[in-house]
Amino acid sequence: MQAAMAALDDAGMTMEDIEAVVYSMAPSEFLGVNEPDRWCVDAVGGRGRPFMRIHTGGATGISAAHAGFYHVASGLFDSVLVVGADKVRECRDSQQVLNTIWDPLFERQFGLTTITMAAFQAVRHMQIYGTREERMALVAVRSRGNALNNPVAHLKGRITVDDVMASPYLCWPIKKYDTCPSSAGGAAVVIVSEEKARKRCTRPAWIKACSEVANTVFLGDQMGGMAQMDFADSDILAMAAEEAYRQAGIRNPRREIQTAELYAPFTICELSMVEALGFCRKGESGRLNEEGFFSMDGGIAVNPSGGTLCANAIAITALARVCDGALQVMGKAPSGMQVRNVRHAVCTGEGGSFQFHAVMILGDDD
Amino acid sequence: MKEMMTLKGGWNVKYNYAVGPTGTRFFKALKGEAKIIAPKCPKCGLVMLPPRSFCERCFVPIDEWVEVGMEGTIQAFTVVPVKFESLPDPPYAIAYVLLDGAGTAMVNFVKNVDLSDLRKAAKKLAIGKRVRVVFEKKRKGTIHDFHYELLKP
Amino acid sequence: MSDKVAILGVGMTKIDSAKKDQKLDDMVFEAASKALAQASLDREEIDSVVIAACDELDGRCISSMLLAMPAGAYLKDEIKVTDDGSYGVILAAMRLMTGLFDLSLVVSWCKTSEAPLSDVMSMRWDPFYHRGIGMNHITAAALMAGAYAERHGISSDIPAKVVVKNRRNGSRNLNAHLRTPVTMGEVRLSPRVSWPLRALDCAPESDGACALILASPRRAKKLKRDAVRLAGFGWAADSYYLGERMLWDSPSLRIAAGKAYGMAKIKEPVAEIDAAEISDFTSYHELLAYEGLGFCGSGQAQDLIREGITAREGGLPVNPSGGLLCSNPFTAAGLFRICEAFLQVAGKAGDHQIRGATKALAQGSAGFCAQGNAVFVLTQ
Repeated sequence: MQAAMAALDDAGMTMEDIEAVVYSMAPSEFLGVNEPDRWCVDAVGGRGRPFMRIHTGGATGISAAHAGFYHVASGLFDSVLVVGADKVRECRDSQQVLNTIWDPLFERQFGLTTITMAAFQAVRHMQIYGTREERMALVAVRSRGNALNNPVAHLKGRITVDDVMASPYLCWPIKKYDTCPSSAGGAAVVIVSEEKARKRCTRPAWIKACSEVANTVFLGDQMGGMAQMDFADSDILAMAAEEAYRQAGIRNPRREIQTAELYAPFTICELSMVEALGFCRKGESGRLNEEGFFSMDGGIAVNPSGGTLCANAIAITALARVCDGALQVMGKAPSGMQVRNVRHAVCTGEGGSFQFHAVMILGDDD
Repeated sequence: MKEMMTLKGGWNVKYNYAVGPTGTRFFKALKGEAKIIAPKCPKCGLVMLPPRSFCERCFVPIDEWVEVGMEGTIQAFTVVPVKFESLPDPPYAIAYVLLDGAGTAMVNFVKNVDLSDLRKAAKKLAIGKRVRVVFEKKRKGTIHDFHYELLKP
Repeated sequence: MSDKVAILGVGMTKIDSAKKDQKLDDMVFEAASKALAQASLDREEIDSVVIAACDELDGRCISSMLLAMPAGAYLKDEIKVTDDGSYGVILAAMRLMTGLFDLSLVVSWCKTSEAPLSDVMSMRWDPFYHRGIGMNHITAAALMAGAYAERHGISSDIPAKVVVKNRRNGSRNLNAHLRTPVTMGEVRLSPRVSWPLRALDCAPESDGACALILASPRRAKKLKRDAVRLAGFGWAADSYYLGERMLWDSPSLRIAAGKAYGMAKIKEPVAEIDAAEISDFTSYHELLAYEGLGFCGSGQAQDLIREGITAREGGLPVNPSGGLLCSNPFTAAGLFRICEAFLQVAGKAGDHQIRGATKALAQGSAGFCAQGNAVFVLTQ
């Protein structure tokens, strides 16, 4: 409710102006309530309004924002509230819950979690591109540093590559500081029609593209043999991005995008994702990151907010990416976090076995 | 208020997962014949493990089965040195292995690796290393009826 | 009609008590394949997929991970809603109306035999004020049924007649889970499960999957005139807190129906609609729905039953398929309603076809006491 009110307030609107509500809620087992969206109907103004819940795993927040966009772009609504909240820490061990995302017959028994999944991606990226653990660590260093400028980040601070390397291994080669925290938080965005936006806002963030692509759950289909893609690469994100760039009329992402808010819950994910987004060639991300290309004053500022590595309230993490991307385009990000002259911000979400990738591109007035 | 309250709770929901004809056939071959069999797509020829009753890519049902080899190649691996609630006791090594003749890799434990030193263990488990399938003596018709072992530990 | 989304085909598995012969993904693949076959389409031609399912009932904490593929989503734009199968059609229709997509699969499923429905439903209550006092979906429905009966002085014969009607209808539907008719006496003698509900007043727990293929307005323009169109749809939610609701009424259903009728330009539903498939989770739900859908005034649902208006032979047959009282694949139930409505309008309902049906209504609902409601109008 706090998030909904803040978003409405920022838009200069009240609940009376809202015609429909989309609820962003990923797995409910962390909260320990089946379909908690039903419980929250009243808190987010869903009563008496069209209300639906979107759930695509980690990508949920972006998918929910997409759904909000579809509400408006279909011509059925002029203003939609997309909102959600999560408290991952209300369960004792989130990885126990995340083990149950795997198939109970063939995979769940081996202690698979989201961290093992990141480990599998990392070992393949290391094998194919020679990516070193220190280069992954540097992603955490930059993210936590960026988060210092973000008042709502969960983890922040000046850490070094040595700190990351010294943090304990959770699943080789993934260390504690390579991973995101379990967080609690809420987020909301208000999506309105073009006509309404022009009336209400001097510098809105326009939704230029919405795209998502699904892949098989089975990681083993994406390595060797008859694989159509490699699990080291976020090829599904590349497909979603290609479609999003087409919708947004972006030909050269590296030149035309100034900032990216990526759903990268592990350091390796970010390295793989910036490659898939066409910010650099495959295998190049570690070096470019070291050279500062993805820093605040680099070519493309990646995760100025600190991103998912610094706060992961799963149900709304990808929605927070949209919020942060929108703030960048609107020029409303907190000082220090604001990237200069943002014309296009790309926001992503990733869900399931790194199998659902969703992209939203926000831009300024044409 | 300084002291806020919390309420204890938990999920207590038990499931009965239907294994279906494809899984049943796979597990029966594991248990009864100590064989790993895999469905093969009639269209693209993909031999898939874990087994599925249809090809996700071609969207056609499958009724052809092939037997895959008892050795294969590591495609990805990890070693878990810490305890997670309700998950196996650490340390353990798991790997996706492309068995000879299969088109996709399947995960299982790798059991004959010394895991006392993580870095050393990781080197031994490298991608491309050969492993073999080892069946348990008493098989129950579950995925735990076999595990992998490095050919050259 | 050319600005409307069209429905090209549906696919349904047989609905049963426990489909032990199929793994969850086998069942979903069957439904999606059948829908593609009925629409004479190849999966490659589909550009988007919408899934509607419930993790907790699927026993997988992100169940679309396994089930997106049998739903046909490999390398496709896929998104998932949870409320009820019918909400998948809402989202898919809006996606198609944006012009970004042309052909969408909508897939929903539920295997109640694999999950203890009552346990999951009790987890739906908030842990602080409701859970732990023995509330589940049945007791919640009983509170609503009792409130409705009390408010309008409904004798127990009226809901019993709903049961007899729907069970008789279901006996004609080869796909239904319960296919034996019941008598008034059997309903009256069936055990109480939660006052005033008797066992036969309540829907069974079933397994089933269904799928439907939607075409964008752009694509639908090229279709024949008698293609089935989604002429209108609407949805809305009520409060979670039963104490804040007047349980004898369903404001969200009134809002949803109002929107759907407005879009479909329906002024007098009873006169204009040829068949309705609604979510009769209990016999009382059906009575309440008549009022929420504007088939009659408040408290008058009993007259429609007494006069046989909603019987198979009546002016507005309701649940010619037998409805949820014969087949209740919980989360998927709403999408099954739309599939059945499609069959009626397409003239493909077989033994339970309502002759000459050209306009059908479907209703899906989600949450305790139909907290959320969605209404769809299908026309030729």
